[in-house]
Amino acid sequence: MKRLVLARRENPTRGGQPLAFLVGLVFALVIGALLLWSSGDPVIDTYQRMWERSFGSRDVISATLNRAVPLALAGLAVSIAAKMGLWNIGAEGQILFGATAAAGMARIGDSWPGPVLITAMLIAAAIGGALWALGPALARSEIGVSEIITTLMLNEVALRVIRYLQSGPWKDPDGFGNLQVTPLPDQAALGNIWERAHLGVLIALAVIAFFAWFMTRSVWGYELRIAGSSAKAATYIGISMRTKVLGVLLLSGAVAGFAGGIELTGTASRLNENISNGFGFAGIIVAALALMRPSGVLVVAVAFGGLQVGGQSIQLLGVSSAVSAILQALILFGAIGAGVLSAYQIRLVDRKVA
Amino acid sequence: MTEPAVELDGIWKRFPGVVANAGANLTVRPGTVHAVLGENGAGKTTLMNCLAGVYLPDEGTVKLHGREMRFSSPADALAAGVGMVHQEFRLVPTFTVAENVVLGSAPRVISRPEINRSVAELAERFGFSAEPERPVWQLSMGERQRVEILKALWRDAQVLILDEPTAVLTPQEAEDLGRVLRQMVGEGRSVLFISHKLNEVTAFCDEATVLRGGATVASSVAIADVDSAALAELMVGSSTKSTETDAQRNTEMGDVVLAVDNVSVTDSRGLTAVDGVSFEVRAGEILGIAGVAGNGQRQLTDAIAGLETCRTGSVALMGDDLTSATPRDRFRAGLAYVPEDRLGVGLAPKLPIAENAVMRHYPKMRRGPILLWDRAKEFSAELVSRFEVKVGRVEDRLASLSGGNLQRLLLGRELSSEPSVVVASQPTRGLDVHGVAAIQRLLVEQRDQGTGVLMVSEDLDELLVLADRILVMSEGRVAGKFDPAVASRAEIGAAMAGVS
Repeated sequence: MKRLVLARRENPTRGGQPLAFLVGLVFALVIGALLLWSSGDPVIDTYQRMWERSFGSRDVISATLNRAVPLALAGLAVSIAAKMGLWNIGAEGQILFGATAAAGMARIGDSWPGPVLITAMLIAAAIGGALWALGPALARSEIGVSEIITTLMLNEVALRVIRYLQSGPWKDPDGFGNLQVTPLPDQAALGNIWERAHLGVLIALAVIAFFAWFMTRSVWGYELRIAGSSAKAATYIGISMRTKVLGVLLLSGAVAGFAGGIELTGTASRLNENISNGFGFAGIIVAALALMRPSGVLVVAVAFGGLQVGGQSIQLLGVSSAVSAILQALILFGAIGAGVLSAYQIRLVDRKVA
Repeated sequence: MTEPAVELDGIWKRFPGVVANAGANLTVRPGTVHAVLGENGAGKTTLMNCLAGVYLPDEGTVKLHGREMRFSSPADALAAGVGMVHQEFRLVPTFTVAENVVLGSAPRVISRPEINRSVAELAERFGFSAEPERPVWQLSMGERQRVEILKALWRDAQVLILDEPTAVLTPQEAEDLGRVLRQMVGEGRSVLFISHKLNEVTAFCDEATVLRGGATVASSVAIADVDSAALAELMVGSSTKSTETDAQRNTEMGDVVLAVDNVSVTDSRGLTAVDGVSFEVRAGEILGIAGVAGNGQRQLTDAIAGLETCRTGSVALMGDDLTSATPRDRFRAGLAYVPEDRLGVGLAPKLPIAENAVMRHYPKMRRGPILLWDRAKEFSAELVSRFEVKVGRVEDRLASLSGGNLQRLLLGRELSSEPSVVVASQPTRGLDVHGVAAIQRLLVEQRDQGTGVLMVSEDLDELLVLADRILVMSEGRVAGKFDPAVASRAEIGAAMAGVS
């Protein structure tokens, strides 16, 4: 008698992660097809349309790139915290509050020239994101409260802050009773650089390249790696774990807040509660699939940007846009599953005689 | 003749870049304690893992009582009667002793009094004193090991593998273990005892199989017929030189370089771990601290290095008070520290060799916020060649190094800034014969160059050979000071045991 067993590989497969990602994609498309088919939707048409509306032409590619910007920056924020074994689940709230801070800056400087105003807004966004992470960071570094819970809870609070501003202090006087804030001044919009793609695409690219370099080359990044590898080793050579935890969570918050600033100046006409649109949560998926590497974050973010943009387009076929969200989740599920399985091999062995 | 309990024949096991077992053989008779001897990296643990179902051998056969087996998991092996107690225990700290013992093979309906009673009975049968209701986190290492052994006995293991079981035990506990093992083999079970400590092997075991370079060089030697020197020679492949000749005792001592005055430390459980300890280390001497593990040595050295705060007292280096200085400032002031836990405290296991090599020195290799990696790599390469650390490339993962090479890297890193005091905690523990000799030689060299060396060791023989003075710690206090030239082992042993 023979039987199949799963045995752990002694050496992990090389280049396993891109392969795992592809396996996850195929897995997601197959399960997604079953879902579409079971609800009576056209499978081929839906997938074809999703492709056409995400990577099918210069115009939609530029839209995909725009969407990839907040995903990539949120993914970067999550991956920075993960370098030290910390989970920033609050990128969503930090994006929202970063955008809020940027909108506040636009109210102060509404007569400033565009480049000055935008720069000030982006700086304010980063500071706002860091501020939103400050509470959880202090709670974690000083008394050891899990950052997972505190950052998550503050997401909801950030949303309420925007609703409050809409209903009162920043309410648009010309809004005909709609709950919305005053629009941004015209010069506060990032210009387009290629088709619909705005300047934020280049800025995000530069930020990610900077961090990829900074995390490997700087003293700070090196100390972070030691602290992430072993807290005891870090203490042994005199690195303060308290300040490292504080610093890394603030930086993670700042990057997420910066994403909110870019999203506001790049795509929105006014601050609204959909500025983040789940980017903070999708950022966790992006970072996980990228194995917390900045270069990987870039690739995964573009793929997910396309998936989201394409997913919106299928509503016109009468297919629920939730399909896109389901596909994203299935890709993560499949890729992580494939990633784990790639550490194993399947073998046919003799059934034990005993 | 009876069928052997265990028969391993021509076992090959390859890992990327390493052949761990190259046609190893092993035959164990039922009712015996069988030693598996070899240096670190000789393939002992891998061979045992092949028997215990952790690995599938690439080639070769595994037979139990004459029947060929093929285990694809430790559960398979356990079902066939092979249990293994690993070096790191696999227990649930918050569970009680009885709960840990029956975990995974409990009756369908668990009645607490029922399992408590049957676990206590089982323990009694083998001469343990077990308290089934105590949670495991309260137990000493020796007691935890007994729970692991009980786990195997509960599953009626006929073959029990113990991987370096005495590494975590006090001498008293080790003796108790020996008694339990005799009781087990008395019932016809077999015990495989992995070790590289020859005195234990000669004390506990009936037969020995010696591995070298993954292959068997001597199989089933009757312990009664050989002496330790012959076994040692089989292990290392050449006649061993005693470290005694290396240690010319230093008679001229210099100034006080490290002064520890009335230091007390509270441990993480709020108990007093170090209680008013005072001593001085002079330039050009090795001060040895002897004692059974867990008598405050770790907290003392951590307090000297700045990893623990002193509740009372002071630490001074070359006359400067460093009691409240950071670990980094102490290192800069000339205090090198080799902590007891090499991996995880002294070294960061997930980082490359070079990043570990510069962990103490990188503040001198920066330009603003940027680390100068070229200089770091150069430094690492020099360190590795000067201290003879066997590595592929300095960019390789630290995990690719063996225990002896890890310690050489760690000690080398600590010594390369020419410290005035070296604090070394258990620097040779777990190393093979060559590794021990190399580390001891480095420490003696330091001493001869006029460095003050504080060496904590559980190996009294080592201290008797190397140290210029010996201080015994017991229950956090200094229980005695001895001159190794004249003190007897019995006197020091009494102090270690807390007998005044």
